[in-house]
Amino acid sequence: MSNSLWRWPLLWISLLLISVVGMSAAEPLFHWVEPDARQVIYSRADFYVLLGRHLFVVGIAALVTISIGVSAGIAVTRKRGSDFLPLVGQVASLGQTFPPVAVLALAVPVLGFGTLPIIVALMLYGLLPIVRNTLTGLQEVDAELITAAHAMGMTPLQILRQVELPLAAPVILAGIRTSVTINIATAALGATVGASNLGDPIISGIVNGNMAYVVQGALTIALLALSVDSLFEVLQRQLRSRLSAS
Amino acid sequence: MIELAHVSKRFGSEIAVNDISLRIPKGKFCALVGTSGCGKSTTLRMINRLIAHSEGEIILDGASIETYDPVKLRRRIGYVIQHTGLFPHWSVARNIGLVPRLLKWPSIDVQARVEELMQLLGLPVEEFGHKYPHQLSGGQAQRVGVARALAANPDIMLMDEPFGALDPITREKLQDELAKLQARMHKTIVFVTHDMDEALKLADHLVVMRDGRIVQQGSPLALLKHPADPFVESLLGGLERGLKQAALTRVKDHMNSLGSALPAQSRIPADFSLRQALSMMLRDHSDRLTVVDQHDVPVGELSLRKIVKEAHLDKGNSRE
Repeated sequence: MSNSLWRWPLLWISLLLISVVGMSAAEPLFHWVEPDARQVIYSRADFYVLLGRHLFVVGIAALVTISIGVSAGIAVTRKRGSDFLPLVGQVASLGQTFPPVAVLALAVPVLGFGTLPIIVALMLYGLLPIVRNTLTGLQEVDAELITAAHAMGMTPLQILRQVELPLAAPVILAGIRTSVTINIATAALGATVGASNLGDPIISGIVNGNMAYVVQGALTIALLALSVDSLFEVLQRQLRSRLSAS
Repeated sequence: MIELAHVSKRFGSEIAVNDISLRIPKGKFCALVGTSGCGKSTTLRMINRLIAHSEGEIILDGASIETYDPVKLRRRIGYVIQHTGLFPHWSVARNIGLVPRLLKWPSIDVQARVEELMQLLGLPVEEFGHKYPHQLSGGQAQRVGVARALAANPDIMLMDEPFGALDPITREKLQDELAKLQARMHKTIVFVTHDMDEALKLADHLVVMRDGRIVQQGSPLALLKHPADPFVESLLGGLERGLKQAALTRVKDHMNSLGSALPAQSRIPADFSLRQALSMMLRDHSDRLTVVDQHDVPVGELSLRKIVKEAHLDKGNSRE
């Protein structure tokens, strides 16, 4: 039972680790892709270092987005914050209509080159799914349940923590999953503003006309995205089986 | 005791409840009856401060409810609603133990209380304790709802159309169980329903509401005998009123002692209602019944003439 649950994450994570550690073993294959190039394995930095930096950027952005997005969603579904409900929805949508490239272009003059601009871009880009799903999840909790909770003598904080958040959790988690998975791909853009990560081989491959580099970067990013996504799948399933009712 | 004195509730310019006054003595079962939108649920929710009243005063055990902390107030008032309001992500046992846990009972006491209540309501812990609400039938879920309301042993129970969503057979069964529980526990109950038969069956005190006002209140028999206006009369079933009144009157209150005549063939237990007696007479083409006790021993007889005659006399002494 638990074996089949973990099958996909284990598969993707193993493939990811193999590709990160053993990329050079595939040198003949990449020679076939790019026969004219002198060097076919990206070597300016080790892949596991790039992977680490990539995860760091996405992780920081996710932590900040989750805390901002979920708190904002909670705040505007409370009685006192309800005036701000439309505003928060619109701001979050605006964040996603802004192309990350444009955010980068605007952020670099202010924040300089490096990791910070890409974290800002990812935060803006990843906010919408989390805010939207937090709002949906909380609003979908049956109003009668909340009335019943009040009538039993639960305090608003108890209702939020024991009733609303647990019932909204699967929807909120789905939003986090979307946000993080999209941002794993989007983070590659950071390479254009000097944030070194798995986008480096791609950008460098495009600049030098070396398709092998592009394939290596893209492959690693795709495997990373699949690994993280399948981990979220496991998490969601466990949550759903615990909330077997909803 | 619950007392409402000139209580009104406005939602904007609309008046949902208009100047109602009502006294519910300790241990009595009061039913609020009326068509939908008459303000009966609003009245109920004002008592545990789910809705704040606009005017008048609601007094609970001698003090205005506004002097109580709303959270503490609600923890000492049981509350049951139509669709149960059970938390779907909690097991049955956890749902029932909610209020005792909020009151910080030691967990061993909570567990004991949950088991006691589940036993009382015919849901053995071993079978149902770990189940989730979606695994229960409508009747079972509503039993859990009642158990949850009773958990911290409140003196007062508010019930908002608790059996409204159940099929007729289950509904009747739960009504009977509630009547039995009430006979044992003597809670002060305020019960909202649009089903007049349910109200007649369960209530000591009947309050008929219309457009936010109380049209008439009194004992079920008093209302049946003297409905204040055509609206109350139609709620009470119009032409069926006589039968409803008969349903509230016990055979033993109207029987004669056994006469010298040959006892009638048809037998009816003494604690059945006159309505059932009439039905039996129609079925058996008989105008006389032999009344028997629980051991099927004849204790008296009942004649159609006597039932018809006494329906005119204001003599029915049950529940008045």
